[in-house]
Amino acid sequence: MNRRHGDRSRKALRKGWFEMIRISVILLATLACLHAQDGPVLFSRDILPLLSDHCFQCHGPDANDRHGDLRLDDEDDAKRPRDPFAVVTPHDSARSLIMDRLRTSDPDTVMPPPELGRPLSPEQITLLERWIDEGAPWGRHWAFEPIARPPLPDRDGGEHPIDRFVREKLDQAGLVPNPRASRATLARRLALDLTGLPPSRAEREAFLKDPSPNAWARLVDQLLESPAYGERMAWDWLEAARYADTNGYQGDRERTMWPWRDWVVRAFNANLPYDQFTIWQLAGDLLPKPTRDQLLATGFNRNHMINGEGGRIPEENRVDYVMDMTETMGTVWLGLTLNCARCHDHKFDPLTQSEYYQFTAFFNQTPVDGSGGDPQTPPVLEVDTTFTEAAPKVMIMRDRDETRPTYILDRGLYTARGETVDPNGPATLPPLTGRADGKRDRLDLARWLVSHDHPLTARVTVNRFWQMLFGIGLVKTAEDFGVQAEYPLQRELLDWLAAEFMDSGWDVKHLLRTIVTSAVYQQRATVTPALLEADPDNRYLARGARFRLPSWMLRDQALAAAGLLVPQLGGPPVKPYQPDGLWAEATFGKKRYEPDSGKALYRRSLYTFWRRIVGPAMFFDVAKRQVCEVKPLRTNTPMQALNMLNDTTYVEAARALAEDLLRSCENDRERLDQASQSVLGRLPHEDERALWERSLTRARNAFEADPTAAEAFLSHGASARDATLKASDHATWTAICLNLLNLDEALTKE
Amino acid sequence: MHHPSWQILQPDAPAPIRERQLAINRRHFFGRSATGIGTAALASLLGNDASIAAEAGLATLAQHVAPKAKRVIYLFQNGGPTHCDLFDYKPRLHALHGTPVPEEYIGGKRFSTMTGEANGKLMLEPVEPFRQHGQSGAWVSAFMPHTARIADELCFIKSMHTDAVNHAPAISFLLSGAQIPGRPTMGAWLNYGLGSPSEELPGFVAMTSVSKGTSCGQIFYDFYWGSGFLPSRFQGVKFRGSKDPVLYLKDPAGMSRTLRRGLLDDLAALNARKFAQMGDPEIETRIAQYEMAYRMQTSVPELTDFSDEPDHVLDLYGPQVREPGTFAYNCLMARRLAERGVRFIQCMHAGWDQHNSLTTELYTQCRDTDQPSAGLVQDLKMRGLLDDTLVIWGGEFGRTPFIQGELTNRPRWGRDHHPYAFTVWLTGGGVRPGISYGVSDDLGFNVAQDPVHVHDFQATLLHLLGIDHERLTYRFQGRYFRLTDVHGALVDGILA
Repeated sequence: MNRRHGDRSRKALRKGWFEMIRISVILLATLACLHAQDGPVLFSRDILPLLSDHCFQCHGPDANDRHGDLRLDDEDDAKRPRDPFAVVTPHDSARSLIMDRLRTSDPDTVMPPPELGRPLSPEQITLLERWIDEGAPWGRHWAFEPIARPPLPDRDGGEHPIDRFVREKLDQAGLVPNPRASRATLARRLALDLTGLPPSRAEREAFLKDPSPNAWARLVDQLLESPAYGERMAWDWLEAARYADTNGYQGDRERTMWPWRDWVVRAFNANLPYDQFTIWQLAGDLLPKPTRDQLLATGFNRNHMINGEGGRIPEENRVDYVMDMTETMGTVWLGLTLNCARCHDHKFDPLTQSEYYQFTAFFNQTPVDGSGGDPQTPPVLEVDTTFTEAAPKVMIMRDRDETRPTYILDRGLYTARGETVDPNGPATLPPLTGRADGKRDRLDLARWLVSHDHPLTARVTVNRFWQMLFGIGLVKTAEDFGVQAEYPLQRELLDWLAAEFMDSGWDVKHLLRTIVTSAVYQQRATVTPALLEADPDNRYLARGARFRLPSWMLRDQALAAAGLLVPQLGGPPVKPYQPDGLWAEATFGKKRYEPDSGKALYRRSLYTFWRRIVGPAMFFDVAKRQVCEVKPLRTNTPMQALNMLNDTTYVEAARALAEDLLRSCENDRERLDQASQSVLGRLPHEDERALWERSLTRARNAFEADPTAAEAFLSHGASARDATLKASDHATWTAICLNLLNLDEALTKE
Repeated sequence: MHHPSWQILQPDAPAPIRERQLAINRRHFFGRSATGIGTAALASLLGNDASIAAEAGLATLAQHVAPKAKRVIYLFQNGGPTHCDLFDYKPRLHALHGTPVPEEYIGGKRFSTMTGEANGKLMLEPVEPFRQHGQSGAWVSAFMPHTARIADELCFIKSMHTDAVNHAPAISFLLSGAQIPGRPTMGAWLNYGLGSPSEELPGFVAMTSVSKGTSCGQIFYDFYWGSGFLPSRFQGVKFRGSKDPVLYLKDPAGMSRTLRRGLLDDLAALNARKFAQMGDPEIETRIAQYEMAYRMQTSVPELTDFSDEPDHVLDLYGPQVREPGTFAYNCLMARRLAERGVRFIQCMHAGWDQHNSLTTELYTQCRDTDQPSAGLVQDLKMRGLLDDTLVIWGGEFGRTPFIQGELTNRPRWGRDHHPYAFTVWLTGGGVRPGISYGVSDDLGFNVAQDPVHVHDFQATLLHLLGIDHERLTYRFQGRYFRLTDVHGALVDGILA
């Protein structure tokens, strides 16, 4: 039996080997020359990153740290006449000072200075030379250029726009896209991506049987209309919004922001256009006659940590909060690391320290004074809800009548006040127009962010959604679109998506539908060694995404597969299982974690109570919810294995799934089929069956020989078990299901 | 003991140092030999695991030079400990106290933005007095009484210098050889190069601690123990700062060890099949991590059970050793990890960022780290472990010999980041004890003699473990990468 499988596998592998040689030959020939850039040198793609990496540290935007009276971030300064010639003389590299300083062998004058440890390669120096000889055309960082909808690459057939852009790059690289994944794989991929849950049995079966060419589109629409969609989308937004149920810091008092969280879910489900979604959250309170939802939405800003430590100076706290609100806005909408300009002009981006404080001025107008640690510091909104008897008070935004002056703070210190600044945007971005009286407030800021001529918001946003689906953004640094961000390989695609997003009326569901209906999204995720070598992060998109599910989704998946999930939307946070003693240890015994009972144990992970100083233990690689985070961490550690193997959540889910199998199936073969369908959405392959049978025999022998162990193994979790089932059978299948939940395939979206 | 048949996938497979760019370099290997580990895994599944190692080239192992140390304990002091106040005694600072930095010391230097220009800044004398200690006559200040007592064991490098002036880039630079985050760190390189001698614990363990009352909120980024482009199974495993460093260790009641062992073998077999089908290297890592998880279930409870430590040993580390999450606790953990063969142990302690707290928080900082560090060295020595364990104490840069803050406001004295000269100490495996290597100038401002750049330091560390830093490479996206980039020279003067 082993031998037979071996032969077949070897044959398959041999086939893979030929495929690999073919691809690797093409790759070696083509990927290398793509980087050499045969066409004209493009400033924003080829030159600016190089100047930024190697020169801006001393010759960049930071006026306080500039050397040699030279700015290489400024065309005029770089090209201005000097003795004996300009640093950059267009069309004449021989008479450009920069080339001398790059090529000299004198260690005292060579640039960059050796101690900086950032030498340019000979290829980079040649590239600069070519650029100068081509006329040294200047330009701006690509992400600050207006978004223009690029024309679709001219290709035959009515292909999807995304596929056209991607195919063009693949053709240039000599790569062949993977074929479409199987329908079963696709159903699971899509459901996890759009709802964070595996497809229900009915959804899956309907899709698999649907012969219509519209079957895929129908499934997409069905999932987008599911209430679970809003819950799935809310998780990432909560991480960006640093949402938590406590203040953070010592004391870590509890707060009531969950009605805001529920608004987020509702907003995604109602497909509130993203421009409105933005305006409501940043400035709903400043809208004319704001609705209760528009007020509630502004809770976004107030999700920051609150420092209630005794001895802290209120103004110091208040300034911290203002900076946090500002920087969160900067990361989420601008994709800029504003915090770098707190203390000094930005080292790389055209953003001065005073511009940083102009941004803070928008958020500097609330009546919050920073004193005390009251988690419900006014302004608050009393929210009508059916979940609790008393109307919860949620922190929201409101501006004072009197304008509070905003100062530039030397080194970011709240006491080191310099000049005052007014609210405004930075010079490098389109003008932020205010009202007739010339004043600007948060509403103007929000409207500016979602104006069609803003170069960043749409790009940054579609990139985050792309990242959600593909595991990595078209721009790898979802949190930074500044000059240090890479020039995106798929720049045209990014810009097309951004333009499409805005033109659709900032329709998030439309955007997601557009992406998931592409062939690129639906590709198989298999990878050959050669392709892995050439394109480890799948930037060319010659294959489907394959990555471990977020830990919160693993839990939801297990509950759903086991039939334990309680799909109730919204409400106060819940406390599922967590190892004993973690809160007590982190709070010197002041707080103790009491798990909930009953249905609250089986709610979606989204509703888990989040204590900031000691987050839920069952979630790994998640944002800490202390400051804004928009890029997921993805590690692969033994700790995760222990969590998945031993956490009560998974053992109980396995038990519930096993119970279902034992009740509804006739024999082991059927049980295995159904278990595999529930978790993986597919039937086992024949060679897998042998391995599962081996496990069945092991488990059955163990539990039949030790009835006490079987009883013990069935005792995990609070849900009742069906005592009419034979304990050894039930325990055996629980063990099988637990292994199933731990399969790499189960842990992974593929 | 039961060994699953696919054990070759483990990082503790025989140490895979390569003569030329051969063998374990997965991607390179894939490019040469059909289906690589996929075949290996599958073949072993099918009971056909003979000579996989040979096929993969894993068996051709050799260190480049004779190793002096087998493992490293890096006591990393995040924040930039002030060399001026701790180890690098400069009497002239007393003479120049309160006077502007002499111009000849500055010339084009770059400081953190907090300082900006060093011009006109006033010199600041050491906060505590210095005294010479031991046979070697090492200068150590009163901040570090316990370290002073073991001075004859230590090799001080007083001519360290680095390229970076801010914390995260400078820490990355020391640990990974690059300022930008995301390159493989030393622990990952060593486990990649040498394998992990411990079958029961990860080859690379990271632990973190912060002094109580530290005002500076420095963050421990995961990339400080990351594997970068090396396969993810070489990444450091971060232990929680708690009496349960690893959660979810216990098998659920009713699941016997035997049954779990068998079920994990089956799980691995199913995953290996998946790997052969998909080609995703993360699957391979997952198989290895599940196996490591199984082993840690036995090894970790025993590792963290200090009940077998007699009082006189605990006392070496000071009173905080009994408090999980402290630096002292982590130092004792480090010794226990070292005994169990862990290749690279990284204890990071934050809070050395005295911009305005030289006369306040620096005392706490030293109290929390001085005795545990010295205690660890003594403990290792008593057990004969110091002979083949390299211990390093140091941060990412030093601090300015001039003041940050007002001279008249002593309670708020501080010093800014200083990359041009700083001190680290080393001891154990192959390092000359009782010496001071390299000299900074008479103000501790610049290196005057025998400079040791970060890459030189890294090259020397690899050398002590038997590795030629120019030959430990990994091919990634068409280029062979090294820990030391294209730099680094061996510092002969500190070798025993």
